[in-house]
Amino acid sequence: MTASVAVMIRERVQNIETMPAIPAVFLPLLKLLGNASEDVKLDEVVRLVSYDGTIAGQCLRVAGSPLFGLAKAPESIKGVVLSLGLRRVETILLTCCLGQAFPAKTWVLDPAVFWRHSLGCAMVCRKFSEKLAAVDGEKAYMAGLLHDIGFMVNCLVFPKEFAVAMERACREEIPLDEAEQATMGFTHGETGRALAEKWKLADDVIEVIAHHHAIEQSQKAQPWVALVHLSDLLCRMRGLGYGYYERHMVDLMADPAWAILLKEHHDLGGVDLVRFTFELDEAVEDIHALVAAVFGSPAQRACPQ
Amino acid sequence: MMTITQSATLPHAPTKSVEAVDPVYRQIRDLVYKVSGIYKAEEKLYLLADGCARRMKQLGSRTPREYWDQLTAQPGRDGELRHLLNEITIGETCLFRSQPQLDALRKVILPEIVAERTKQITKRLRIWSAGCSTGEESYTLAMNMLEESERLLKGWTVEIVATDLNDRSVETAKAGIYGDYALRSTTEYFKRKYFSTVDEKKLQVRPEVKKLVTFSRLNLQDDSKMLFMKGMDLIFCCNVLIYFDGVSKSKVINHFFTNLNFGGYFFLGTSESLMKLNEQFHLVHFPGTIAYWKPSLKSGKL
Repeated sequence: MTASVAVMIRERVQNIETMPAIPAVFLPLLKLLGNASEDVKLDEVVRLVSYDGTIAGQCLRVAGSPLFGLAKAPESIKGVVLSLGLRRVETILLTCCLGQAFPAKTWVLDPAVFWRHSLGCAMVCRKFSEKLAAVDGEKAYMAGLLHDIGFMVNCLVFPKEFAVAMERACREEIPLDEAEQATMGFTHGETGRALAEKWKLADDVIEVIAHHHAIEQSQKAQPWVALVHLSDLLCRMRGLGYGYYERHMVDLMADPAWAILLKEHHDLGGVDLVRFTFELDEAVEDIHALVAAVFGSPAQRACPQ
Repeated sequence: MMTITQSATLPHAPTKSVEAVDPVYRQIRDLVYKVSGIYKAEEKLYLLADGCARRMKQLGSRTPREYWDQLTAQPGRDGELRHLLNEITIGETCLFRSQPQLDALRKVILPEIVAERTKQITKRLRIWSAGCSTGEESYTLAMNMLEESERLLKGWTVEIVATDLNDRSVETAKAGIYGDYALRSTTEYFKRKYFSTVDEKKLQVRPEVKKLVTFSRLNLQDDSKMLFMKGMDLIFCCNVLIYFDGVSKSKVINHFFTNLNFGGYFFLGTSESLMKLNEQFHLVHFPGTIAYWKPSLKSGKL
């Protein structure tokens, strides 16, 4: 990508004033999450959420999903916070807000498919982090959830170009980022980065969004980028991809990302990747159900006709 | 999410329900995985519970907990585990059992093999269906290869070597006659193209499919015979290794590794794992399925 393309993307993203109604709670919440400290006040989050009944309702529905392991569906935001902990609730809220931020009419790809992948990747990142003692699970979740926001930007800012890329990816059964590069000359990594910078996301998360398909370009947060890269690949191989067959073989343990993550977290070596994969399959139905409940039912098509 | 309830009185086939699963079934699931490499996912736990229920009826055990004791206490635990493994894998034999494996084969692996061997004069593909039972997998592979015979595999010789320990299975396999249950995943397209009608309920694979497959009896633990199975591009061995103890299993897997060509693939059953019994194979993912890869020489990953 040339510098001029980068400037063009940044300008066009900066000018998305037509950005559909982002829930009021969204940006303040991002700021709170960015702090990543325990002193974020419970009341502050509850207050922010109470501004928006839709978000509060969705948050309760999400928290009640089997994915979050509560025995009983929670009845209030405060109740959710008490059972799941503040940080997890923040990530749930973020999930809901993102769902609201982008209306269906601008989607080139099926939003349900997009959310399944994003949520799936978030869950896998957190599941990986449970195996790696030193990784912050909620941060991992957030990185996974946000890694592909570039696709949302593509839908909003470059819908025609992105439709061509999507069509090519489906037709040739190749990874979407390859199709983007071949047809648009840049990928959702670059467009996602522009939005992440506009939203002033944490540096690590920006790195993940920008480089999860080109890990060698990441300067600052390689283990995070590696974690999301591997989780993304695994999701795409286990029915949580972009709704079309990707014609390739993935050798996760031979991927440079595996070595990067292993160097930082030795316990990765002890992970039984086959069982991990089978366990991920268990969550797929729950993810489908959750996406249908929160973001609406999937459309009939997976690929543009 | 599907979970299981279990009557506290008499054993019976558990039903799918939203109530909490008896935690004993998760313990049994973990034991089965540790010993055999078979993993029953949460939503398939009712299948495991079904299998347990049938065994419990046989044994007269009243609760899952009591059955757990029989599975874990000497004497007889190894025998009981075999019975249970039989129960939980019994329904898995059918034609077209795993579409993701077939997709990986036709969409990813074959194009790769064909591209790699464009310069070879003799174009030959060898596939081994190890533990072929009554031939369902072997014929499925044969039909899929025939589908490619006018495209990717034009000019290629395909040979499917199918072996099983059991003489009777081998004889049944040779006949190639299947009923509704074995054909439940076979599409009308394949039925019409590759089968002839025996009677109302049975179909038989056509001679052109049979021609691709050679059935024979083989004991995978017979080291001297295993040495003669060289030059395979693909090996399928579904739900067979689960019955072997750790030492025999590693030995058989080593034979498979040796018998595979560089760049070849080894497939297990869909919920089966090689665990960590072989460090040379690379665990690889294709959409919806996993396999074990013997890296090609030029990949430099050996």
